[in-house]
Amino acid sequence: MQPWLHLRVSEVWSPCSPQPGPGEWVLLSYRLPREPSGPRTTLWRRLKRLGVAQLADGLVALPADARTRESLEWLADDVLAADGTAGLWVARPATVAQERELATQMAAARAAEYEALAEQCHAAAGADPGERVRAVRRLRGEWRAINRRDFFPPPAREAAAAALRDLAAAVAGETAPAAEAAELTR
Amino acid sequence: MRWATRAGVHIDRAACAWLIRRFLDPDAEFVFVADPADVPADATPFDLQGVELGHHGADCSFETILRRHELTDPVLWRIAESVHEADLDDERFDAPEAPGLDVVLRGLSMTGDDAHTLAVSGPIFDGLYEYHRRRLLLGREPA
Repeated sequence: MQPWLHLRVSEVWSPCSPQPGPGEWVLLSYRLPREPSGPRTTLWRRLKRLGVAQLADGLVALPADARTRESLEWLADDVLAADGTAGLWVARPATVAQERELATQMAAARAAEYEALAEQCHAAAGADPGERVRAVRRLRGEWRAINRRDFFPPPAREAAAAALRDLAAAVAGETAPAAEAAELTR
Repeated sequence: MRWATRAGVHIDRAACAWLIRRFLDPDAEFVFVADPADVPADATPFDLQGVELGHHGADCSFETILRRHELTDPVLWRIAESVHEADLDDERFDAPEAPGLDVVLRGLSMTGDDAHTLAVSGPIFDGLYEYHRRRLLLGREPA
């Protein structure tokens, strides 16, 4: 067990679970008709954006707070509107080990995203100035999106933050008239 | 009239409450509930699970209210883009002010109760409305 993860699980959650042990999670159970496939795809995309842990077929989880609960409630409504069935649950993993496993999975998924982001930052550093300006803008948006679904920040987060800072500094430090003009007339 | 919404007001509910008071019901009274079952019988619910004035399809509740009440003011639809992005962040619209608006509302919800959040955010939306109104009239950023 990575020590940083242990720390997160026990400390981040203390506000909602004063007693030591696993915290509260909000679970969405859902079932959608096979056809049409549109609602399935939309739901899948929205779940992915929220960064849920997939516990089983038709069962996803997020650490419980007002925001995660509300997000999953809206998705439950979407499922019902598409003639599916959905339920929203607040639950506690029975053991700390089970919770850590879940947190580890989620942290690993975010770590992969942060690593991909860092790689794109490095790749953009070699691009032409105009392209670099656009890359900073796009990658910052992506950074925010990953952050929003990052409940157990992995070490890769810092590496990605540094890569993004370096890229932004390179863009800002450029004798930039050319880059800025390109951006303004875009 | 009484209107009911979920307790713990953030951007979408704050914007809806402002919209309701300014454009639908100047005497609106707001009730905050933890569970949809607690909505008083005489209140119109909004931004709650399973109600008409909630999220529908890709729309947040603010957009749903604009549609259901046939409010076509382009200034309100521009504000709707900010609210949508601040609430859902799905990059459907280009609203660079959205993340800032979201942070301001989140902060407010930490320092006061829901009535306080509405009292403070009302003038903010008034200002946004005026800004976007002038921008649309001028066809460029107002001073």
